Amino acid sequence: MAIITMENLKYKYPGADHLALNGITLSIEKGEFIGIVGQNGAGKSTLCQAMIGLVPQFYHGAYGGSVKIKERLAEKVPVQELCEDVGLIFQNPFNQLSGARDTVYGEVAYGLQNLGIRREEMKARIEKVLKQLNIWQYRDRNPFDLSGGQMQRVAIASILVMQPEVIILDEPTSQLDPEGTEEVFRVVDQLSRTGKTIIMVEQKLEKMAKYCDRLILMQDGKVVDFDTPEKIFARDDLNEMGIQPPAFVRISKQMGLVNADGTYPVTLESTVALFEQQSCDTDRIRGVRPEGKRTARTQRSEALFQMEDVSFSYQKHVPVLEHLHLSLDQRTTAIIGQNGAGKTTLVRLLKGLLKPVSGTVYFGQEDISKKTVAMLAGKVGYVFQNPDDQIFKYNVLDEVMFGPLNIGMNQEEAKEKALKALEMMGLSGKEKENPYDLEMYERKMVAIASVVAMNTDVVILDEPTIAQDYPGKKRIGEMIERLSGAGKLVVAILHDMDFVAENFERVIVMAHGTILADGTAEEVFAGDAVLKEARLQKPYMTQLIERFAGR
Amino acid sequence: MGKIFKTKLTTATIVLIPACIGINYLGKLFASLLKLPLWLDCIGTCIGACLGGPVIGAICGAANNLIYGLTTGDNITLIYALTSLGIGLVVGILARMGFMKTFPKSFVCALGGGLAAVCISTPLNILFWGGTTGNVWGDAVFAATQASGMAVGIGSFLDEIVVDVPDKILTLIIVYLILKGLPKKLTALYDVNAEIERLD
Amino acid sequence: MKNISLYIDQGSWLNKMHPYTKLLYILTAIMIPLTGGKLWLFPVMIVSSLLLLASGKILKRALPLVAFSFTLIVVIFLIQGLFNHNNETVLFSVGIITFYKEGTLFATRIGCNILNMLLSFGIFVLTTSPQEFVDELEKSGFSPKFGYVINSVFQILPQMMATKDTITDAQRSRGMETEGNLLVRTKAFLPLISPVVMSSLINTRERAIALDVRGFGRKQKKTWLYDRPKYKWDPVIRVILVVLMIITIVWRVL
Repeated sequence: MAIITMENLKYKYPGADHLALNGITLSIEKGEFIGIVGQNGAGKSTLCQAMIGLVPQFYHGAYGGSVKIKERLAEKVPVQELCEDVGLIFQNPFNQLSGARDTVYGEVAYGLQNLGIRREEMKARIEKVLKQLNIWQYRDRNPFDLSGGQMQRVAIASILVMQPEVIILDEPTSQLDPEGTEEVFRVVDQLSRTGKTIIMVEQKLEKMAKYCDRLILMQDGKVVDFDTPEKIFARDDLNEMGIQPPAFVRISKQMGLVNADGTYPVTLESTVALFEQQSCDTDRIRGVRPEGKRTARTQRSEALFQMEDVSFSYQKHVPVLEHLHLSLDQRTTAIIGQNGAGKTTLVRLLKGLLKPVSGTVYFGQEDISKKTVAMLAGKVGYVFQNPDDQIFKYNVLDEVMFGPLNIGMNQEEAKEKALKALEMMGLSGKEKENPYDLEMYERKMVAIASVVAMNTDVVILDEPTIAQDYPGKKRIGEMIERLSGAGKLVVAILHDMDFVAENFERVIVMAHGTILADGTAEEVFAGDAVLKEARLQKPYMTQLIERFAGR
Repeated sequence: MGKIFKTKLTTATIVLIPACIGINYLGKLFASLLKLPLWLDCIGTCIGACLGGPVIGAICGAANNLIYGLTTGDNITLIYALTSLGIGLVVGILARMGFMKTFPKSFVCALGGGLAAVCISTPLNILFWGGTTGNVWGDAVFAATQASGMAVGIGSFLDEIVVDVPDKILTLIIVYLILKGLPKKLTALYDVNAEIERLD
Repeated sequence: MKNISLYIDQGSWLNKMHPYTKLLYILTAIMIPLTGGKLWLFPVMIVSSLLLLASGKILKRALPLVAFSFTLIVVIFLIQGLFNHNNETVLFSVGIITFYKEGTLFATRIGCNILNMLLSFGIFVLTTSPQEFVDELEKSGFSPKFGYVINSVFQILPQMMATKDTITDAQRSRGMETEGNLLVRTKAFLPLISPVVMSSLINTRERAIALDVRGFGRKQKKTWLYDRPKYKWDPVIRVILVVLMIITIVWRVL
């Protein structure tokens, strides 16, 4: 029985000049686990919001065709009513909390109160859901004090407790660290076995391949294909649509591992199974290497930063960094670790935004603590995690020119540098647009460009790949290589292990305020004990190659 | 006139109110952080008024002072809930009449807001503290007028003008600049005349 | 997380008292001296509020509230004592500065009134959980939409304040000065406030969605997780307060 049917659905946002959804017809069966894939701007989120009536009820705009949820028209039935059947969870865990309750328990109860559920039943349902999602122990905590992954589970619990038949998850892990991501996927895994209908948007395609029965492939507001993951990922035109198939598909293609029906295996297990079944020649593994683009420079150039016995704490007796020794040279450097490991504190010390409690940070020969942030602005660039913490101009070009002008460049030079940086970040042609009319992933690029344009010797990036799709990540990878090629030091905090393995010469693993490992990506990702202690996963490529070799 | 006061209490407008109250607070915080000689504590109220109309503006203003007054114990703020309400209302009306459309016109809006503040605060000041405002510059003016024997009402009025009018002018300039930068996708949420157009 | 509410649960009888009773007390405390018209009524009410604060173990916490109004009171004494229009009788002189009796008396009245209000409000503010207060308001028919506004301010404001430092750092990282002459500082205001305003307005869109999908604003009657435990003295205290107010009015009229 179809639970959601769409017919020739069309939608245009108010003031927009193109259709965000363009003639979509499809039906989803009860109990299915459906994934939606496509590059940023393809219309994935808009489609999700159309399934719960937010499009068009909340956004207004122009609408055509129909969406039916169990025979009810999503366009007509108020969202407040439709939410009994359909639940929606989206990216930012913080914005999904009602903001009206100061305990997890109360937060989860909020929706039930609105539905007018009897008290006894309310309590029973909340207890069940909180235990199911393993957050019962946080029930009396303030939800805003939890970590991202925990907060996102509270958000999921708040929806689950209302017992909708359909649950829509719109990139629920895109803003979480690896551990938070795992927590959420464990929940998704559980959900997939409960018989609920689930619709999920996610850029982590290895995960999508593992969970989804069928995938909706979108581009330019249209549904290009709607089929099993194997079929979808076997398509030849994925790259043109801004999608990089899962690592397992890429390796299988390279090795000629093909299923009987001409598709490729899409998960780790099925790849290994096929490998064993076809009893492949182990020689073929040798041809397969992690896609590291370059061999790491071994010869160290002169140290740019030198940290000597640096300790830092925000509050007394709660050390964040302890007795850290670190020297950074020109190799591109990735810093990995869970949230709270001290990564951001470390880079803020480099930037001079924080002063060490003890020890010294040298930039070149100079002690940073003797300099003000403004004095270092022309030397060390720092892209903050959230672009919305800095954007304030009305057009992209002015925003990007703000930094260069501040550090004393003249108008022409600033403009030239800004245009070059925008071109590098793929924003050519958007110079005159209002940054806030752009989507989050584009604003992130604006923020990066605004620091790159300052032409500093060092560029520090805090989680640059958040919210980026494959083309976006590729562009950031190219930017890193170009800056490094121009003799600049690039330091980045990252959560995407595959991206780290492919783009960085040096990887530093951090956990609880100390450095656990430091070396090339290959060295670091071979260290099982260290990764376990830092609670990090290996890149998919490394996982697969190890499985093959371990046979 | 009915159109000027038209208000839709959608979830989007309701959620706008606490955000505006937060903005008020941060405006004040940044102003004191940068040691600016003005309050700049009603930026949010004015944004609420311009986006949601006079009713939302009035609610933002009144709720702002009531909430801070009732929770932070600063009930001096509480008394000025009426003033904030007035500012939100007047700015909302003027904005709906088109006085936030261009930069020069926004000064009319600023003057309107400033005068609303002065006219409501003055009687309150006289009633509660005999005419002072608690602002150094304003009270210096008040002291001078009293020393020269002017009536309490006039002195207090001048006291308020010195404080409120420049403050509101700068506030509305900031609000104008901010509103200019708001994306269409967001402002459309507060459009009371928005209809859903059919595509088939 | 930093809480902007001053509420503290000491388990005292004031915590158990219904918020409405405490509001009624504020009304009584402010009204009696103003209608009664006698200056001595102010100290009576001030002392009564102080005793109540002490009984609720929150006297110490009330002090900052009073300190808050100190400058205002000093200014009022200066201006009124020196320049009040009714000033005739000299109280004392320091050099060329002369304080007059009439103005000082007037200032005393205002000062007492401020203190009285602050303290009676202090009782409410320090002993009432805002969320509980809103719940009670909603239960007695107050719109849940406005209930939401009050509740969410307490949750959202600390979050917005937390972004304050990040934004300052982000702009300083791009070479912006936050110190210097008035022009430099004024110019810094927009780059600091704009990102907060923009991001909080944009966040409202997501939050509105989050509320809608959880049935916010449905016509149906809400249900509640808890009932407030009834406090047996509430009705008694309310009657006493109302009687006190009536006595004051009658006394004044006679």
